[in-house]
Amino acid sequence: MRVAIGARLRVPKLKRKAVIAVVDDDESVRETTKGLIRSVGFSAEAFGSAEDFLASHHLGRTDCLIADVNMPGMSGLDLHERLAGAGKTIPTILITAYPNERIRMRALNAGVRCYLPKPFAEGDLLGCLRAALGNGTSSC
Amino acid sequence: MKLATVQSAPAASRRNRSAVLLRIATAAIAAGAFIADTIDPNDISYPLLYVVVVLLAARFCYGRNLVFVAAGCLALLVLSYLISPPIGPTEDALLRMSIRGTVIAVTAYLVLQSQSAQAGEREKAALLDLTQDTIFVRNMDDVITYWNRGAAELYGWSAEEAVGRVTHDLLKTRFPAPLTAINAELHSLGRWDGELVYTKRNGSEVAVASRWALQRDRQGNPTSVLETNNDITERKRAENALQLAQAELAHVARMSTLGELAASIAHEINQPLAAIVNGAGAGLRWLDRQPPDLDEARQMLTRILKDGNRAADVIGRIRALVRKSPVKMDRLAINDVVLDVIALARSDIERNRAVLRTRLADDLPPIQGDRVQLQQALLNLVVNAIEAMRDHEPRELLITSGNDEAQNVVVTVHDSGPGLDPETVGRIFQSFFTTKADGMGMGLSICRSIVEAHGGQLSARPNEPRGARFEIALPREQAQARHAADTSKAAALTIPSYNA
Ligand SMILES: Nc1ncnc2c1ncn2[C@@H]1O[C@H](COP(=O)(O)OP(=O)(O)OP(=O)(O)O)[C@@H](O)[C@H]1O
Ligand SMILES: [Mg+2]
Repeated sequence: MRVAIGARLRVPKLKRKAVIAVVDDDESVRETTKGLIRSVGFSAEAFGSAEDFLASHHLGRTDCLIADVNMPGMSGLDLHERLAGAGKTIPTILITAYPNERIRMRALNAGVRCYLPKPFAEGDLLGCLRAALGNGTSSC
Repeated sequence: MKLATVQSAPAASRRNRSAVLLRIATAAIAAGAFIADTIDPNDISYPLLYVVVVLLAARFCYGRNLVFVAAGCLALLVLSYLISPPIGPTEDALLRMSIRGTVIAVTAYLVLQSQSAQAGEREKAALLDLTQDTIFVRNMDDVITYWNRGAAELYGWSAEEAVGRVTHDLLKTRFPAPLTAINAELHSLGRWDGELVYTKRNGSEVAVASRWALQRDRQGNPTSVLETNNDITERKRAENALQLAQAELAHVARMSTLGELAASIAHEINQPLAAIVNGAGAGLRWLDRQPPDLDEARQMLTRILKDGNRAADVIGRIRALVRKSPVKMDRLAINDVVLDVIALARSDIERNRAVLRTRLADDLPPIQGDRVQLQQALLNLVVNAIEAMRDHEPRELLITSGNDEAQNVVVTVHDSGPGLDPETVGRIFQSFFTTKADGMGMGLSICRSIVEAHGGQLSARPNEPRGARFEIALPREQAQARHAADTSKAAALTIPSYNA
């Protein structure tokens, strides 16, 4: 594992602050991921389950989704597929503590931008994030 | 009992002719002796021709018939005495005649005896031909001197072809131990049994259960070796298949338990690690701001602290997961454990074409231990040795048992693999350290836990001239009883075992 601490990344200059949703049932991972994203200047919201996220009023204004694959109830991949099926595709980054090649292939085929095993390097997450925001959001 | 002999027709007629000639010649000599003795009773040599008659008759007359021949000779002798002109005093002539008669009678008696002995031998040989077992005899130079029908059927060589050949040239014998060791046992005990692999005439191999008995002459000097063999190829094949299945089953069971364990450990550890890495990255950024956002940074540091502790808890839970169960201590002979493990690993050894040698001391004191766990410990070492030699020929696996200076009972597994890598040797006993693509890295760590729970020590060192050597030293029974008593004061003697 490569851990790039303190890597400097250019923050995309957006007219409004992009909103990133973090969905993970593990509180520590959820809160620190949110903290990391906020520390580079995005605004972030954290949710403990896919169901919570779907029920929230943030759904419509989320620019990028970071979701855990293995969660009780709906998985991060299910969430992505469900949104895509409803025509509300949000650029998605999946994170997982159980990396699995079969699931990775399924995810990438379903249009998921990145599939990151935990623990992931900060640079990897932010790189994915930038790529996802770069061509997925309206820069309003 | 009749010996079935098959002969070609010309050979049979030739044999018949010479038999008839022999009979005519014998009769002629008898007649000549009678005439000469009658004409010249003084000459002592003529009656001795009757001895020749008896000896010749022994070639075609047996038992009762030979008695008739000898009686006939005696009758002719008496007749000559009666009809020939008397010379000298009657007593002299009678004495002379009875001496001659005795000589003929004694000759006939000896011939009869030797005939019955030969018949006994023939009957024995015929009996040996009847058994299903293969039996052959070889002299002290390993040259075959007798070969029964069973041997001919099993190995494909007839008695004519086999007799006179050197056994292990003919059969390309594969021995379970060095031949010198086998011969040493044969000479000291007078017998040996074990399993051999022979090559038949058609090139296929046959596994046999072999028994050797050393034959000695009256002075006690060894003269020959009687060898009987039973074909156990089928049995071996079934045994091997069973062992293979068992070993595979055990391996699968171990791998899946460990695999599940590893996956759950990875998950449990990776969650807090991910949080720590994220939190540290975020914390640094908040500190790097102008001005630094200390509040945000503090929040992240608090998280890191919490997740550091959480990871430590995971490790604690793994320890608890590794259930502690008391060792079942029995009185064991370490060599029995070694033999158990050899039986378990045999198919693995053969499949990898490694040569196994053992040197087991036979005067070792017993130890106290859990047989199954010690088997598992030793099996891990043997499996590692076999795996280490996979790409290194020659593949020589040696398992020895003995005593060390401290009077511990020691089992050592020597291999001829690449040896211990100085870069990693310090870590090989750690859990999950492996250099193998499909390794779990648990073999040595389990082995060490088991050995230490027995009050013993596991160590690794280079082998001479190459390879690695792993040694299990276990305290002998008495010393170990003290060790158990010592530890029981502090804590019960415990041993990890994995449950899914
Ligand atoms: N006989 C040996 N010769 C050389 N290296 C060895 C030998 N035995 C063990 N090692 C080294 O020690 C490492 C750890 O061995 P260990 O038995 O603990 O795990 P493993 O064999 O890799 O996996 P497994 O859990 O399947 O046994 C091996 O990967 C290997 O690098
Ligand atoms: Mg191993």
